[in-house]
Amino acid sequence: MLGTDGARPSGGLPPLAPPPAPVRTRRRRWRTLAAVVAAVVVLAPIAWFWAASLPAGTWSVTDMGYPDDGGGTPVMADHGSMSGMGGRSVDSLRLPDGPADVDVTLVARAQTVRLAGGQVVTGYTLNGVTPGPEIRAVQGQTIRVRLVNADVPRGVTLHWHGLDVPNGDDGVAGVTQDAVLPGGQFVYRFRVDQVGSFWYHSHQVADEQVRGGLFGPLVVVPRGTSAAPSPTDVTALVHLYDGRRTVDGVGGDLAVPAAPGSVVRVRVTNTDSGPMRAWSSAPYRVLAVDGTDVRGPTPVIGAATQVTAGGRADLEVTAPARIELGGSAVVVGSPTAPAAPAPSTVVDLLGYGTPTPLDRATLGFDPATPARVFDYAIGRRPGFVNGVPGLYWTINGGMYPDVPMFMVREGDVVRMRISNTSGEVHPMHLHGHHAVVLARNGVPATGSPWWMDSLDVPDGTTFDIAFVADNPGIWMDHCHNLAHPAQGLVAHLMYEGVTTPYRAGADTPNDPE
Amino acid sequence: MRATYRVLAYLLALEVVVQAAAIAWAVFGLSTWIENGGVLDKAGLESDAIVFDGVTGFMVHGLNGQIIVPAIALVLFIVSFFARFPRAVAWAGAALVTVIVQVALGIFSHTLPALGMLHGAVALVLLVVALIAARKASGPVSVETSTDASTGAHAAQV
Repeated sequence: MLGTDGARPSGGLPPLAPPPAPVRTRRRRWRTLAAVVAAVVVLAPIAWFWAASLPAGTWSVTDMGYPDDGGGTPVMADHGSMSGMGGRSVDSLRLPDGPADVDVTLVARAQTVRLAGGQVVTGYTLNGVTPGPEIRAVQGQTIRVRLVNADVPRGVTLHWHGLDVPNGDDGVAGVTQDAVLPGGQFVYRFRVDQVGSFWYHSHQVADEQVRGGLFGPLVVVPRGTSAAPSPTDVTALVHLYDGRRTVDGVGGDLAVPAAPGSVVRVRVTNTDSGPMRAWSSAPYRVLAVDGTDVRGPTPVIGAATQVTAGGRADLEVTAPARIELGGSAVVVGSPTAPAAPAPSTVVDLLGYGTPTPLDRATLGFDPATPARVFDYAIGRRPGFVNGVPGLYWTINGGMYPDVPMFMVREGDVVRMRISNTSGEVHPMHLHGHHAVVLARNGVPATGSPWWMDSLDVPDGTTFDIAFVADNPGIWMDHCHNLAHPAQGLVAHLMYEGVTTPYRAGADTPNDPE
Repeated sequence: MRATYRVLAYLLALEVVVQAAAIAWAVFGLSTWIENGGVLDKAGLESDAIVFDGVTGFMVHGLNGQIIVPAIALVLFIVSFFARFPRAVAWAGAALVTVIVQVALGIFSHTLPALGMLHGAVALVLLVVALIAARKASGPVSVETSTDASTGAHAAQV
């Protein structure tokens, strides 16, 4: 086309008629230009969002997102790069060295193993078994766990789910420690002042390692009682191995011998990534939720108890009875009744147990006068995370890493409104703290104080919760559907002046999700 | 570009068929699995480990519908700027809008399942729009080009 102009004889007389060729050529050029501009207009924002989402080789959790003061006095985020400047490192937030009442060594391996029920799975073990060994302690005792990584290639950590341990023992790779690489070890040591059902699991490549079995139970019994295993106190760790539901590694029915009439506590623990239900055709009571006793638990008849991912519910039955777990069951004694179908109703913990006002006298703090009020609004939209397109979770409208850092000072009373409009349920888990549920969808709690560390937040639901910031550190506040943090559903609770020397990212061994 | 447009439009239509086939396979597979004693709850759904004949259908439907179909629609829309036949942009734009509506319905139907009926219906709208777009791109040399040829006196020289 350009050649048309160039071929025209130059010099000589100017042509009488205007040069005819450019009419069409110009039109074409304009059209091509318009098309290119239109294409750029469509593509440029996409390219920009993509480029902006590419991950840094290493990052510090203290630089992830923007500080949110929750309407309280502004708190300076202490950035990792400034950690030499007077902040407290997470490493300093640990017990001083000393003896331990319960001393355990756990050796992590990647291997193929036969479960207690006979199923053969390829995954991870602790001391050669999955689930790992049960750790039992008496309230007030100090537990020391030496974690040794025999051969798990990407490294391991242990997080004490539900135990409000000092921050340096929280076991989050890249936040409170480096992942323990093959041949390495890490010693955790903490005092257990909470009574109840807990569990431990890896928080390095957590989604894959927890799925693969790198977890185990931890039980704390009240002072003055014995931590020795008891036939009337049973842990029921529910886990899907290769899609098959198991209880303590047993597929189908887990038999618990019990004389007729004996009362048995079953600590149902959901180690999977979505909520599950437990129910029984016999009346049962919900003794505790997430390790905290329910005040005045009443008999439940014809309703299931929902246990969110990572959550625990201690159920009490009188033998003989079956506790159905959906495809699996805990069979206490020798019941003659067959498996009961799942009831359609669910125990509403908002109104379960003795009605108790939620005030200073019952909670130890006044949730009506918070120092900070945070929003944790979960949504969903298309975009890029780490350069990969998809439909991703958002927190307060922003997509990872544009997420809030919830900034607090030690002693603050904190309220948080967790809402979910993302279309899916999210089991929200705050590390290092227990929070009390104040209201759901604006309806105030009326039963026993509902303390929790893992909260089922279904789509279209809003929870108001409150807690005291009484455990300094940097704490994950994330979805315990362990695939979701990797899709951006992770934020942090950060205390003023606390720093971390640890980093995560592709250039480090650490990948907490 | 016109040929590319045509291929992409037909591909979009084919994707509608793939989506319908995948989800039907998955639903039949799931019900058969449950009939044979399989148990599914949210924990199972999230485990990514539940295996039955047809489970791939769910994955194909989700991935295809949320990533590949929108990508094809987007590329078709961009190609349409260069395709140069009447209403090329309009039909590609209509396909893109239909895809956006369809993906949104796919998401919101998890909140309000009855919307799923619209999701099924809009799939057919997309099929028709994609086919029309493809047919438009396959038609005889467009009027606009021939107009150009008749007014542009030097067309033959180019």
